[in-house]
Amino acid sequence: MFAYIIRRVLQMIPTIFGVMLLLFILFNWVGGDPSYILAGKSMNATTLANIRAQLGLDKSQFAQFLIFVKQVATLNFGISWSNQQPVSSILAARVGPSVTLTGFIMLVSTVLSISMASLVAYVRGSLTDRMVTLICTTAMSVSALVYIIAGQFWLAHKLGWFPVLGWGDSFAKNLVTYLPLPVLLGVIVSLAPDLRFYRSCFVEEMNHDYVRTARAKGLSEPKIMLKHVMRNALIPVVTSIMMSLPYLLVGALLLETFFAIPGMGREVIMAVDKSDFPVIKAITIYIAILTMIFNLLADIVYKLIDPRVQLK
Amino acid sequence: MANEKGSRSLWALGWKRLRKDHIGFVSLWMVAAFVLLALAGALGLVASGWRNEVAKPYAPPTLLKSLGPKHVQLTAENIDAANKASEQANGQPSTGTSLTADEDPLAGDLAEASKNEGQYQEAATQKAETLPMGADLRGRDVLQKVLKGTSTSMLVGLMGSLAAIVLGTIMGGFGGYFGQKIDDLLMWFYSVFTSVPDMLLLLAFSAVLRRGISTVILVMALTSWTGTFRLMRAEFLKHKSREYVKAADAIGASHLRRMFVHILPNVSYLLLVQFSILTVALIKYEVILSFLGFGVSVTQISWGSMLAEAPAELIQGYWWQMACVTLFMSILVTAFSMLTDSLRDALDPKVK
Amino acid sequence: MSEPLVSIQNLRVAFRMEDGEPFEAIKGISFDIPKNRTVALVGESGSGKSVTSMAILRLLPSNAEFGAESKILFEGKDLLQEDPHALRKVRGGNIAMIFQEPMTSLNPVFTVGDQIMETLMLHMGMGRRAARQKAISLLTECGLPEPERRVDRYPHELSGGQQQRVMIAMAIACEPKLLIADEPTTALDVTIQKQILKLVADLQKARGMSVLFITHDLDVVGEFAHEAVVMREGEIREHSEIRKIFESPQDNYTKALIKCRPHLGRRPQRLAVIDDFMQGTPYKEPPHRPRGYSHGDEIILDVQGLHKTFFSREGLFGKRAFDAVKDVSFKLAKGKTLGIVGESGSGKTTVGLTLMRLHEATAGKAFFNGKDILSMTPKEFKAYKRRIQIVFQNPYASLNPRFTVQDILTEPMMLHGIGSGAQERRRLAADLADRVGLSSNALSKYPHEFSGGQRQRIAIARCLTMKPDILICDESVSALDVSVQAQVLNLLQDLQDEFRLSYLFISHDLSVVKHISDQVMVMHEGVLVEQADSDVIYANPQHDYTRELLASIPRGWPRDSFNAEGALAEA
Repeated sequence: MFAYIIRRVLQMIPTIFGVMLLLFILFNWVGGDPSYILAGKSMNATTLANIRAQLGLDKSQFAQFLIFVKQVATLNFGISWSNQQPVSSILAARVGPSVTLTGFIMLVSTVLSISMASLVAYVRGSLTDRMVTLICTTAMSVSALVYIIAGQFWLAHKLGWFPVLGWGDSFAKNLVTYLPLPVLLGVIVSLAPDLRFYRSCFVEEMNHDYVRTARAKGLSEPKIMLKHVMRNALIPVVTSIMMSLPYLLVGALLLETFFAIPGMGREVIMAVDKSDFPVIKAITIYIAILTMIFNLLADIVYKLIDPRVQLK
Repeated sequence: MANEKGSRSLWALGWKRLRKDHIGFVSLWMVAAFVLLALAGALGLVASGWRNEVAKPYAPPTLLKSLGPKHVQLTAENIDAANKASEQANGQPSTGTSLTADEDPLAGDLAEASKNEGQYQEAATQKAETLPMGADLRGRDVLQKVLKGTSTSMLVGLMGSLAAIVLGTIMGGFGGYFGQKIDDLLMWFYSVFTSVPDMLLLLAFSAVLRRGISTVILVMALTSWTGTFRLMRAEFLKHKSREYVKAADAIGASHLRRMFVHILPNVSYLLLVQFSILTVALIKYEVILSFLGFGVSVTQISWGSMLAEAPAELIQGYWWQMACVTLFMSILVTAFSMLTDSLRDALDPKVK
Repeated sequence: MSEPLVSIQNLRVAFRMEDGEPFEAIKGISFDIPKNRTVALVGESGSGKSVTSMAILRLLPSNAEFGAESKILFEGKDLLQEDPHALRKVRGGNIAMIFQEPMTSLNPVFTVGDQIMETLMLHMGMGRRAARQKAISLLTECGLPEPERRVDRYPHELSGGQQQRVMIAMAIACEPKLLIADEPTTALDVTIQKQILKLVADLQKARGMSVLFITHDLDVVGEFAHEAVVMREGEIREHSEIRKIFESPQDNYTKALIKCRPHLGRRPQRLAVIDDFMQGTPYKEPPHRPRGYSHGDEIILDVQGLHKTFFSREGLFGKRAFDAVKDVSFKLAKGKTLGIVGESGSGKTTVGLTLMRLHEATAGKAFFNGKDILSMTPKEFKAYKRRIQIVFQNPYASLNPRFTVQDILTEPMMLHGIGSGAQERRRLAADLADRVGLSSNALSKYPHEFSGGQRQRIAIARCLTMKPDILICDESVSALDVSVQAQVLNLLQDLQDEFRLSYLFISHDLSVVKHISDQVMVMHEGVLVEQADSDVIYANPQHDYTRELLASIPRGWPRDSFNAEGALAEA
């Protein structure tokens, strides 16, 4: 196991390097000269030259790349171009709200969708099953945007059951006041696709031979479902949950934007809007590294719950 | 490949199965209708005049005009009356700018203009009171907009999907078939692109490239090839050790021949399903991107840019643009999703 | 005669297919399973034997429909009418079942012990501690080595034979009165098969239970069954005592089944096929055909020191080596057949694939007409490629499902420049299709429209398009039904005689190999253990492993020593 972890960590290095290369090409080559953006109103030759020197744009591409590498290694991305704050401190403040929001959505949605999926899989082929699938498909055809816009309009603005937007200082206040509506909408959006996916995991398992053996042993259908099938289906389900954890941090982009929740997702959108390259680069690198770590964790968890897996 | 009447290729069998699946078959025709619509829109045959402001601002839908907020028609007299009323209330003359004729730099020109006014006639275009699906802020026909928007969104979805699939298949095919160094290199690409969540990657690309349809298609292709890559890599790897491929090797077929003449036809049904899944996903992404302002340019219209106007409209009580977009999008995506499910069932050889 | 344990009466089963049409799998059969006896249910694919066995416990899929008058009586009650609760008591408790593929039939995420304990706790109401003890004793009874350790293992950590022992232990745990065994040894090596058969026979005697043993292999049945029911296409052709089935079969189909198996004692010129018996005229066995290498034989392939090692990654940077083939040398004579025999893991298939350069050999030489084909560059080898061809095992996997038969047959011609144009190639393809016994409209059809035997014919025709000198048959008949196997073996023989082909015949089936080979080489774990003329090696095996292998072949009838006493006693 230990050798496996070391091997995986070593494999991460070329990947991180690749991400850096990608971002560098994007933002330093394709993105063009940002000095005009930063100069703003005071656009004259001296200011531009100063900015370029500050950002190291007067050096060769290779030297600039090394600067970038150093930034990644020290996790210090300099100053945000839009509000002159250190990027690291901005991001540190944004992590909390994102994790809280998506954490709750994920928790509620997973519990609901797994329980519903197992019920639906149990009666697969029946009218209920087909109706539920149809409803899910139709529900998924409506853009998340529409749910959020409509939800915010009706439930908050018109009916006044929730605040239209905002975020509080304390966890408790958020939990009671500001989280409910975004979490509700987030769950609604993710319930349908999750339900379909988990249902297919369960149905796939139910077609295996060991289910026939369990029946031949005289076990009742609910017992077979809950004990034999569920335990096997848990493997793809848990793996899928672990793989989607990195998305926790980019957060529910749209929800954060609409509800003015100061999370990473909203930060990214604002940064793209303002062409704030350091922030975009920083967030992307952080997320990339975390994704790799989570993938490794997912594989380890997979090994723990599936006795057949041999990690080499 | 030879396909005489009477023999049943796997594609023919799949088609037969699809026809029997009523829901799937109907979905196929609906999707085909949308594709035709998209083509017509792209060629300018339909909704080419969507930019024309043909109605009064926020004109309600013809059949449902009672469900909109009440409109108050403002005329010149109303404005004059309102001005006079405020004059009396505040005890000040309001001549618009409260500048005297000497101070006002435009006074001379305005005097000229009012003199010449009588000589000109403006073609009085009658602005419609209601439209089939209502009008937006600028009086543009929502129906026309949504048709043109369908064209844009579908085009982006289909082309982006096609590009992603071609890219993913070539890379996945070579990686899965040849393995070793080539595969290591391609897997490196894959791990780089998948370590960043889709939306984030899309936004990063959008940040540096100009807005516009071609950008969106490019960006979507560059971020979505990974799913197809993984699928095709696994399939080529699996099929490579199948006996019919070994047999092809034994009779002397080259690598390229084995990959594209032997293996590819056996996995192309998966690509068809993948194409449909990806098209739906990309349409949804495009909507979000355009909504956020990073997708199509301001002169173009798509479902996303229409939805961008929705929050402001809803506050004022104008619901028809959002409803129209949601309706069209919902029908297309549902039909496409049903089609995907039916395609999967019809073409999967296991079911045979 | 006392009352039967299970009485199947007028069983009719139809499956509702996707186009709504019903497919009759079982067309009205009746037979009884007596107490304390082993009944063999024999048939080829499509006979309905598996469907019958699963019908007893109602384990058929949901689109199965029973006939109105069908009854399956067990202890006076009709199992087809029982409510689910009562049925569950019967399943596992009174009637137990084991299946063909133990690997997939066991739940991969629970330990072997847990799965056995589950049935004990369910039907016998035992507590965990007692159940565990009983599980260990059951595993001991079923011959699983080190049961106290193995009880906590997962299924994938055991070998195929061990997994099947676990399934048997699980099945007999609650002392069932009937054990249904659905082809339990078909997926196992012949030496392991013998052990499992002995186990089932011993358990049957010791516990006085009845066994319904489903198989396609009459010889297996002959070893230990009391009665046999022969089925074909959903009907019973014959049902009688095992002695009568072998010594005086009444039904033509039964006669055909017995006769068309290659026999270790005789080698007829041509194997019998079903058609020989179904015409009504009595069957006359063709004269014996002698086989063996003779002095003046021209050697077409001379293999020396063939070695193949597979590498896999291990640990952080290490590599693990697995020697599949170790220093194998042999000679193939022109116009003759060299049989390569061994169990799984013996390396026999690897030898064939390496000679074709589908795998690259690690070391060794193979002289074909004087030139070493293993050391040639791929470009040089191209000219030789068409002269050595291979027919693979799985008829369902060796033809490209998207090609028509015409495409399959004309492609090699196109690649090697045979035939002056597309027209000519089509003509050649049609000729070959005819030669291998396919009908004239086969060319425009797709592989999935043919049966297993027909697909192998297409594969053979594909090889012949290139007029090869050597044909490697890698388990080419192993996946076919007995009757079809005979047809394909006869075809191969005819082709060899007509075209003077040299065959390398790889198989685990000793009887088939003896029938078709002039010389036989035995492989075990990558090593060539013994090599001699086929008659010599079977009569007088030198090596221990060869002896063990030969001893494991099910003899059928008359019985071999291990069962001489008990089974023949009358009920």
